Amino acid sequence: MLTKIFGAASALALLAGLSGTAQAAPVKFEFWHGLSGDLGERVQEACTKFNASQTDYEINCVSQGAYDTNLQNTIAAYRAKKHPAITQVYDAGTLDLMMSNAFVPAKKLMADSGYKIDWDNYFPGIANYFATAKGELQSFPFNSSTAVFYYNADAFKKAGITDAPKTWEQVATDARKLKDAGFECPMAINFDPWFSLDQFSAIHNQPIATQANGYKGLDAEVVFNKTKVVDEIKFWKKQADEKLFVVKTKALGMDPIPAFSSQTCQMAMSSIADHGTVGKTIPAGVEWHVAMLPVFEGTERQKSLVGGASLWVMKDRPEAEYKGAAAFLNFIAQPDMVEWWSTVTGYIPVTKTGFQAMKANGFYDKPQFKGRELAIESLSFTEPSDNTRGIRLGNYTQIRKEFSTALEAIFMQNADVQTSLDEAAARSNTLLRRFEKTYAGQTLN
Amino acid sequence: MIEKTPFANIVTYAILFVALTLVLVPFWIVICASTQSVAQVNAVPFSFVPGGEMLKNYAAAWQRADLGLALFNSFVMAGLVTSGKIAVSALSAFAIVYFRSRWGMVFFWLVFMTLMLPLEVRVVPTYNIAADAFQPFRLLIQTLTGIEVGIDWNLLNTYSGLTLPLVATATGTFLFRQFFMTVPDELAEAARMDGSGPWRFFVDILLPLSRTNMLALATILFADTWNQYLWPRLMVTDPSYSTAMTALRALRPSENGLPDWNVTNAGALIIVLPPLIVVAVLQRWFVRGLIATEK
Amino acid sequence: MKRVVFKSRWVPAVAALPQLLLIFLFFYWPAVSVMNWAFTLEPAFGGAGERIFVGWENFTSVFADTQYWNSVRVSLIFACSSTFITLALALVLALAVDRQLKGSKFFRFFYIWPYALAGPAVGTAFLFILSPERGLMAIVNAAHPDFWNPAKYGSHAMILIITCFVWKWVGYCFIFLLAGLQSIPRSLTEAAAMDGSGPLRRAIDIQIPMLTPTLFLLLILIATESFVGKDTYGIVDRTTYGGPNNATNVMVFNIVAKAFEGLDYSGAAAQSLMVIAIIMVFTFVQFRFVERRVHYR
Repeated sequence: MLTKIFGAASALALLAGLSGTAQAAPVKFEFWHGLSGDLGERVQEACTKFNASQTDYEINCVSQGAYDTNLQNTIAAYRAKKHPAITQVYDAGTLDLMMSNAFVPAKKLMADSGYKIDWDNYFPGIANYFATAKGELQSFPFNSSTAVFYYNADAFKKAGITDAPKTWEQVATDARKLKDAGFECPMAINFDPWFSLDQFSAIHNQPIATQANGYKGLDAEVVFNKTKVVDEIKFWKKQADEKLFVVKTKALGMDPIPAFSSQTCQMAMSSIADHGTVGKTIPAGVEWHVAMLPVFEGTERQKSLVGGASLWVMKDRPEAEYKGAAAFLNFIAQPDMVEWWSTVTGYIPVTKTGFQAMKANGFYDKPQFKGRELAIESLSFTEPSDNTRGIRLGNYTQIRKEFSTALEAIFMQNADVQTSLDEAAARSNTLLRRFEKTYAGQTLN
Repeated sequence: MIEKTPFANIVTYAILFVALTLVLVPFWIVICASTQSVAQVNAVPFSFVPGGEMLKNYAAAWQRADLGLALFNSFVMAGLVTSGKIAVSALSAFAIVYFRSRWGMVFFWLVFMTLMLPLEVRVVPTYNIAADAFQPFRLLIQTLTGIEVGIDWNLLNTYSGLTLPLVATATGTFLFRQFFMTVPDELAEAARMDGSGPWRFFVDILLPLSRTNMLALATILFADTWNQYLWPRLMVTDPSYSTAMTALRALRPSENGLPDWNVTNAGALIIVLPPLIVVAVLQRWFVRGLIATEK
Repeated sequence: MKRVVFKSRWVPAVAALPQLLLIFLFFYWPAVSVMNWAFTLEPAFGGAGERIFVGWENFTSVFADTQYWNSVRVSLIFACSSTFITLALALVLALAVDRQLKGSKFFRFFYIWPYALAGPAVGTAFLFILSPERGLMAIVNAAHPDFWNPAKYGSHAMILIITCFVWKWVGYCFIFLLAGLQSIPRSLTEAAAMDGSGPLRRAIDIQIPMLTPTLFLLLILIATESFVGKDTYGIVDRTTYGGPNNATNVMVFNIVAKAFEGLDYSGAAAQSLMVIAIIMVFTFVQFRFVERRVHYR
């Protein structure tokens, strides 16, 4: 049994060696991503376009089903030295990658391969999330989004509301009107911290953690239990108790977006990337719009945070693959590709030239894409600052989980808001200290 | 029974029927759901009648989770584990039962310890060595001979990685041990008188005698391996190695997508069918194997 | 033990070699090798920087973690209730079928079916069947809103995963208990019947006491299975995902989530080693019992 397997393994190794020496064929390399369903097919299409555009390289795009699975599998594969040349990592995994010493920085890769990239062409509101504190991009922004507010204008009319709510207080008043007009679920909320923690903190100029949200050192501590986030959750909870805000999660049957597009709920927060999906799934003729996320009255609005994922080029691949990876990354950054990608998905263009080209084409005037420019506006509302640049915290996936668990306890089991958030913060800080210790001796750059 | 107990009989039948309903109703609901349209499957109250979209749903499930490939991989995995485990455990039980040495007891203990540790418990340690399972041998060779060997043996995305950690458990060993103990001593004695060695005895007498036990063990191992979930999930990063059970993940209604539970149920039914057939059709062997392995 | 044994040094060694190699490679070596992680802080991608020896810190931080103790508590509740309900139901069914009324074989044929299904598949099916807004329970919820909602109430979620486990394992225990009942000499029960004791009396006085060894064996098997088995992980992973608010975060699920989602290989390694140690002690104690039974047969 064993010998058989060893035999097979060495035969395979031999084969691999042979194919490596045969130079005639195009250089093959892999790209793993976490998108599935419709979005996954669009990625596949981008890969097909790249392969058709030239003959030197052949990219093989593999969907791992979800962002977190992709990160787990990338790690497993990296440990086993079977990793792909390019992998897609979501916003929360950024620091895990940065500290990993397992990637080739974006700038170095492109310089080595002889591409001249105008790095300032990336929107600073996007690029800073994936760049060092000095502003050097480590990975390539790819599918970027931000959160926006969706509302059903038809329902608003019926309830006698004319404008999109700009403040949370207005959201509550409008929700009351909708409720009185007979709508069972005026506003859908869920426990995703991306809205209630990340975006809320940024646009209200609140820190999530000390040390400029972690950008200035691994010794950052979360402070979300001491900021306006607490007021926000208390406010939400009050509305939820009055049945004006309704919790919609997959476990409860429906996420906010399906709830919105099935007209179950009339207001919801979601990623701008869902703009396309809503357009496709909401019954034709229904009037709906997006707006920037609401703020509390008296708040000086700041820019929102970028979400989605970026592309990382992994270390320890054969030299030839890097040339291919660079070619691919250059290919998808071309204005026509940026435009195509934004059109078919709903993700925002990540470069200024891409955005300008789309604006010039009249993309945002087309009825089905109207409102998508709000995402760019929201992302570049103010210059990036310590509180709005991004989040540079280790174990951030787990911290988000602690936060959403606290929300579960608050909204489902009526736990005390402050106590639950304090607990989540304490647990998050334990995670941060562990992370700091794991990478002791390394500095954040 | 000799007595007449009409009341007790009614109670017994009532229990039997209630239990039967509880066993079969979930099957029936899943079958119904797998043939209904998205609207029907989400309707309240649920309709206990099959709908008309069976082929469409099954085709959708087949395509969504790439079930052709997944079923093939599951068959390969289950086949390898079943045959591997039978071979390995018959051999080691032979060593335990028919020979006596001071190492015998140590060996028995080492094997016995592994019984209670399913892969779920040792998944982190096993993952730890997955990238380089050859390491202990390399260390050994290096300390013994001073030669550095440059062989890597990595379990990720290989059939050996999927199967060997499962072959390693000792359940089969105990079945064969039990069985070999019941084989009359005279057989071994006769073989020795004839001058045939232990190998001849093992191959010519012991193995043919164990045929029914092997079949019984095979049914259990097949179902058991088919149903492995966590390990394939961790050991497969290349979709061309994914198994039927891990394909379940792809079948759940997608994030923000339609609640198409009809497709989910259709896919789940396809996935559970092979072990279900084994248990239903080969029930006699399966039951025998169950009782023999665990006693 | 056998009276006749072959005499050879190398034959048993060769015969035992494959098994030895495998358990060495996939049980003992990993358990030793993972110490590397359990006593250091392993970075997610490995290799970055120097590994720092942290002594028992990974273990002490596990002990200090309220979430860990929650998972222990949840596991115990799950394992105890599952084991008890499974065995009780299986015993009732075995006694009923053992009365050998007409059609008993028919029932027996179906009772084993659920055992063929994998935990994750059972979970997927029951998640649909018992979901609050579609399937069976929606009917009840329509009359009494929020009567059943495993996504909201921790206790409902626990009931959901216990239901999945019990549904799958009753058939398995039933097979054993039926086999046990059928090996009880008929003459015993018939004699009791002639003394005028009814079926229930006979079950309590004769059959159940005679079944004690089987029941005890099953108790150990099912307790282990529900505590650390693959179905437990699969069911939780496909239904509640440990929630809501960690109400179903059983130990195996907690370890896997910690390691592969939390990217904390060191903490997970420490937890794994503790579970392995507990089970080894448990096995050691059990060893004597099983061995005695084997001799007795």
